[in-house]
Amino acid sequence: MQEAPLFWLLPAGLFLLVFYTWPLLDVIRLSFTNASLIGGDYEYGFDSYRRLFRDPATMRSLQITLIFAGGSVLLKLTLGMLLALAIDAGVKRGLKGMVVVRTSILAAWVIPGVIVGVLWKLLLSTSSHGLLNYWISEAFGTSVPFLTDTRLALLTAILANVWRGVAFTMIILYAGLQKIPAELYEAARIDGANAWARFRYVTLPQLVPVVFVSLVLMTISGVNTFDLIVALTEGGPARATEVIGLSVYQQVFKFMNLGRGAAVAVLLLAINLLMTLVYLWLLRVNRQAD
Amino acid sequence: MEQTQNHVGNPRLRLLGNIGLYLGFAVAVTIALFPIIMVVMLSMKSRTEVFTWPPTFLPQSFNLSTYIYVLTETTIGRMLWNSVFLTTFSVLGCILVSAPAAYAFSRLRFRFDKQLLLLLLVYQMISSMVIAIPLYRYYEQLNLLDSHLGVILIYITVEIPFTVWLLKGFFDSIPASLDEAARIDGASRLQVLRLVILPLAMPGLAAALIFNVISSWSQFIIPFILLQRSELLPISIGVLNFAPGQTEGEVTIPYLAAASVIAMLPAVTMFIILQRFIVQALTGGAVKG
Repeated sequence: MQEAPLFWLLPAGLFLLVFYTWPLLDVIRLSFTNASLIGGDYEYGFDSYRRLFRDPATMRSLQITLIFAGGSVLLKLTLGMLLALAIDAGVKRGLKGMVVVRTSILAAWVIPGVIVGVLWKLLLSTSSHGLLNYWISEAFGTSVPFLTDTRLALLTAILANVWRGVAFTMIILYAGLQKIPAELYEAARIDGANAWARFRYVTLPQLVPVVFVSLVLMTISGVNTFDLIVALTEGGPARATEVIGLSVYQQVFKFMNLGRGAAVAVLLLAINLLMTLVYLWLLRVNRQAD
Repeated sequence: MEQTQNHVGNPRLRLLGNIGLYLGFAVAVTIALFPIIMVVMLSMKSRTEVFTWPPTFLPQSFNLSTYIYVLTETTIGRMLWNSVFLTTFSVLGCILVSAPAAYAFSRLRFRFDKQLLLLLLVYQMISSMVIAIPLYRYYEQLNLLDSHLGVILIYITVEIPFTVWLLKGFFDSIPASLDEAARIDGASRLQVLRLVILPLAMPGLAAALIFNVISSWSQFIIPFILLQRSELLPISIGVLNFAPGQTEGEVTIPYLAAASVIAMLPAVTMFIILQRFIVQALTGGAVKG
């Protein structure tokens, strides 16, 4: 049955065309110019890209983004898996309070990223109100410069991001666990498999599709993180936590280099599109496997 | 909930396992809640208490004067109102334009339908930072910078892909025979959507509403770039204005804490009330309880 869908798709389509597709194409166009945010004439050329790949600051920002996203993904996956398995075990054993546990962990996920940044900044402060650092210095004799040390700051940002996002990974994996047929576990038990063997040979292979899909989603959200970093470190100290989104922002709105900022944005766009391709490919593989 | 009993009959091992699990849960819940509880405590400390050494977890007295000050003497009420305004109109607008598209993807067969649906996913993955740059330029030329309407239009746009996917999933679960019956009775497609599909898809609409409220409330990049006048800022940006500046130093820390609590309270409260529903919608019904 072929029916004209235009009428139905038009409202949403117009929004996406005018406010999304057009700006996307325009940012690519701008990346080939030397335009300034202040205005004035500009010329087309490849200068933005030449400078982009030679600029150590941009390359460093790319590296920081990858460490931030990679570290977040690894920790979220590990902790999310542990939490999902523990809650699953708790529910199956009929333990009380499982909903309380789940809700407490998920609460962080609905807090706006900016507030998460502020929360962790207050928590880890080295000022007189910094409670955690006071406890650490009482226990170990020295406080920890979580946010002021160039090497530690990135790790701190990763931890705050994991705190916020691990709940989402947990809930996706937990849902995946519920879809594993109980007969598989029965069969494994009859074969005499212990708990570890059941995890290794039943749970893990069955969860692989869910794990891969959540990996891609986590990577994209890691690469696109902006609000949390602005509130937590503003990219500092000494640009040690300047992820690529912040780099775009600085280039355009601080240095007014529209052309060069657009080129960095196109780099971010390219990473987004690459990850999306992986995601679409995974969805297809998963569907064929079903 | 079905009880899958442990086949290993050793009750002592089982008890040990339960204790281990509870210990793990205690650690997880502590880590999850500590930053939130700490900021609540901090918000109830007095301005001088912030400088007392050593810092304490509990405030000397639970005084709410900080909240009274923040709510009456600062623009936070205005910021909350801005957030409510932006969230309400963008969520309603988004559902209004997404529902027909979701209906088309669910019920009509047309060329490139699968491809278009996947294209929506692509939009979903792109950082708002990428489009914010050209949008800033257009808005500057159109005099739409510092306008709530301008921001609402973008909020609607960035939330369309997710909303269409979510609603399509719910529409798919409604048997097509129902709308065919209505069509035979002479209803137009628009009437079918309004009178048959939407009432049955109420849980889907509710889910779209909740997820969009959460994400609109947290929107950052778009208002950060397109709004500058402080009286227009939503709370998700405005809270940064409470951060200690150069001149006043640490004195304002309790204000920042109180503002943060006020900013997260609506989202967290809504989540706690609706958590069963949210978890089910999030996991496609795989999780109950």
